[in-house]
Amino acid sequence: MAGKIRTPSDIARETLENAGRRRFFGKAAAMGVGGLAGSAALLASINDGAKAQGEPIKVGGAVPITGWAAADGIEFQRGLEFACEDINAMGGILGRPLEPVFEDTKEQGADNLIPAIQRLIDRHGVHAIINGYNTGAVCAEYDTVADAGILYIHHNTDIVHHDTVKNNAERYFGIFMGDPAEYWYGEGLLKFLNGLGEKGLWTRPNDKIAIVTGSQNYSVVIAGAIRDNAEKYGWKTSLFETVVVPISEWGPTLAKIREDPPAVIAVTHWVPQDLAQFMIQFVPQPTDSLVYMQYGPSLAAFREIGKEAVNGVLYSTVVASLQDEFGNAYNNRYKEKYGASASPLVAAQPYDSCSYWAIAGALAGGTGGPGEEAQNRKVASRLRNMIYRGTLGTTRWFIPEQAATPYPDATNDPSLGMPHQYLQIEDHTKVPGLIAPSPYETATFKMPPWIKA
Amino acid sequence: MSRRDIVVGLALLAALLAVPALDPSRYIIGQLTLFFIWATIVTQWNLVLGVAGIFSLAQTALFAFGGYVTGMIGLYFGWPLWFALPVGGLAAVAFSLLIGVACLRLRGAYVALLTLAISQVMYLLIITDTECFYMDGVTCRNLTGGTRGLTKYGDFGFREILGAQWILGNYYLGAAILALATLASFIIIRSPLGMAFRALRDNQVYARSRGISRFKYQLLVFAVSAFFTGLAGGFYAGHFKVMGANTLYLSLSLFLLSMVIVGGVGRVWGPLAGAATLMIADEAFKEFVEYRNLGIGAVMVLFVMLLPKGIAGTIEDTLLPRFKRAPKGEGQETG
Repeated sequence: MAGKIRTPSDIARETLENAGRRRFFGKAAAMGVGGLAGSAALLASINDGAKAQGEPIKVGGAVPITGWAAADGIEFQRGLEFACEDINAMGGILGRPLEPVFEDTKEQGADNLIPAIQRLIDRHGVHAIINGYNTGAVCAEYDTVADAGILYIHHNTDIVHHDTVKNNAERYFGIFMGDPAEYWYGEGLLKFLNGLGEKGLWTRPNDKIAIVTGSQNYSVVIAGAIRDNAEKYGWKTSLFETVVVPISEWGPTLAKIREDPPAVIAVTHWVPQDLAQFMIQFVPQPTDSLVYMQYGPSLAAFREIGKEAVNGVLYSTVVASLQDEFGNAYNNRYKEKYGASASPLVAAQPYDSCSYWAIAGALAGGTGGPGEEAQNRKVASRLRNMIYRGTLGTTRWFIPEQAATPYPDATNDPSLGMPHQYLQIEDHTKVPGLIAPSPYETATFKMPPWIKA
Repeated sequence: MSRRDIVVGLALLAALLAVPALDPSRYIIGQLTLFFIWATIVTQWNLVLGVAGIFSLAQTALFAFGGYVTGMIGLYFGWPLWFALPVGGLAAVAFSLLIGVACLRLRGAYVALLTLAISQVMYLLIITDTECFYMDGVTCRNLTGGTRGLTKYGDFGFREILGAQWILGNYYLGAAILALATLASFIIIRSPLGMAFRALRDNQVYARSRGISRFKYQLLVFAVSAFFTGLAGGFYAGHFKVMGANTLYLSLSLFLLSMVIVGGVGRVWGPLAGAATLMIADEAFKEFVEYRNLGIGAVMVLFVMLLPKGIAGTIEDTLLPRFKRAPKGEGQETG
């Protein structure tokens, strides 16, 4: 292997071969456990052929099953269930099966999230809580988790996590954010845009960037990060507009954009139907601007509503399953199980997190329930030192912040960071192409159809 | 205040104070603490809506205002929340007087529309607060916390005193605020103020001729209710350690208003009964996640159709007289 970077998959494979346990890897492969190839080998080898039986280990999900984020919440629920099934097929954690349990966080916020987490702890005695996102609690739930001494992995995409954990690393030893903070969207976009210019794929007509944000925290922080870093990357913010969501009438905003056409329009609101309306109203009288949007275009509803109007739209995400060997295998299996309309890229968040938590638990000699803090500190220690390659790409932690490192925003090495993926819709009837970062691309940037130059 | 009210009140208080002795789970303690917060708001909303007859929808705005002021004083002035909490309550009073002066000369649906608009304007002002007020590491923080929410203003310090049992400190503080709020509402309902409202309702012309000013009394009730609602907001901020615009969601307002209706509008024990009933119903429907909202909706429809006087009204008007003829002046307080 000299001269080649050893991925966790390589390490797992070597471990397995050295131990003479090919049968487990063969079994995992035979199961077609795509996306778990590396961990399948490692976890199966640690489990040493044990079957998942006996007292189950409960793993909790505090997810918005009702309320405005229910569509994602249901995928988070499925993602955790799917992960538990795969892990149980490999012997669970040292022979103990995983049993997922869920609590609804409704409209989210601290007054919904904290009781949900407390209920998972008190009622179910969960060993870990693995979530997608919950907005509005701003880390207020951390004390509830820390008091119980269990592990908590979430995908709140929140920069506040960094300071909160860094400033109290001892107390919040078991709390991890499985995706990069939203802050990285700002610098990431500016780097990406400059990269397009450097590669000769696009020539900016001016240095102006118009930023349109929705009124939710996630959107505002991203918009702020773009605005605050624009000058550093040679851009000027020509418009910073906050729209109250939900919104379908974009006329006033578009009028301002048309009055002073920018090189880039960055819309950080994320609701797909609202974004589709933006494009439907933009395309009849476009400006020579690239249009970058947030998250919403990754959902099928955006393309279904916007149809031809959305062709050419750019978008990015710091956390989604990749279109590669691991990602595609997982995506296909997920859709096979939950139907073609299911959204595996959202479910991939708890799926990957549960997988690496299970490995860390097995490596630590088992996981601990509420009150078994000493054991869970061992699990957290294993997890902190782990570099995991899953469906989302690579998960490697900022230490002591315990948040996923983004690539290429914070590291130039794709094996050491979670890819900040840039995608473009070329044809609304097809899956969008991944145009950056390297080496994950499946397509190349195309000039949007509304730019005639 | 009748002897029956005193006995019921003391029994309820004793039961709530004794709950921690039964060593319940922290979840139960947490949910009861949340019940104290919602019940405090609902008790005061009942005063405004059921007793004073003001169709105000500003109660969650007052709650949020109290919470935000408490949090902002803690964050920007470094005050302990124990001192910030009453200031939050008083700030809510000042805010309510402004709202009252603007709204109370109107009637019925116009009051509802204007108070709802104030609540929504407050929500919009918070979520569109994107200007950088100060830098916190690499993050730009807004004056109000914006859509992210206001944090890092501390708590009531029970962790330092009680260690792992810190939540019991919050539990008893929440219970104390609810007890005070309930006592205040009793005093108002049974006092000459309550009589004045009954007089205004029964014969407005005669009441006015006797010098009873509807505007003055309504403003007074508005202010008193705002104090305890603001205190509940400050307590919420200290308990959860975050104050966000989600406290101004219309869905929360409607949930709390439903508690008033289910409990019995204008009844002294109605708000507590309504808050407890809807929180228990919500708890029960957690087992049937997909049907949770449907279930809560069905409960409300059933109450409105079968118990139009609410729980307290039905007990006082229908059940109690069967056992004992109610002494004159007891039973229905406001109509």
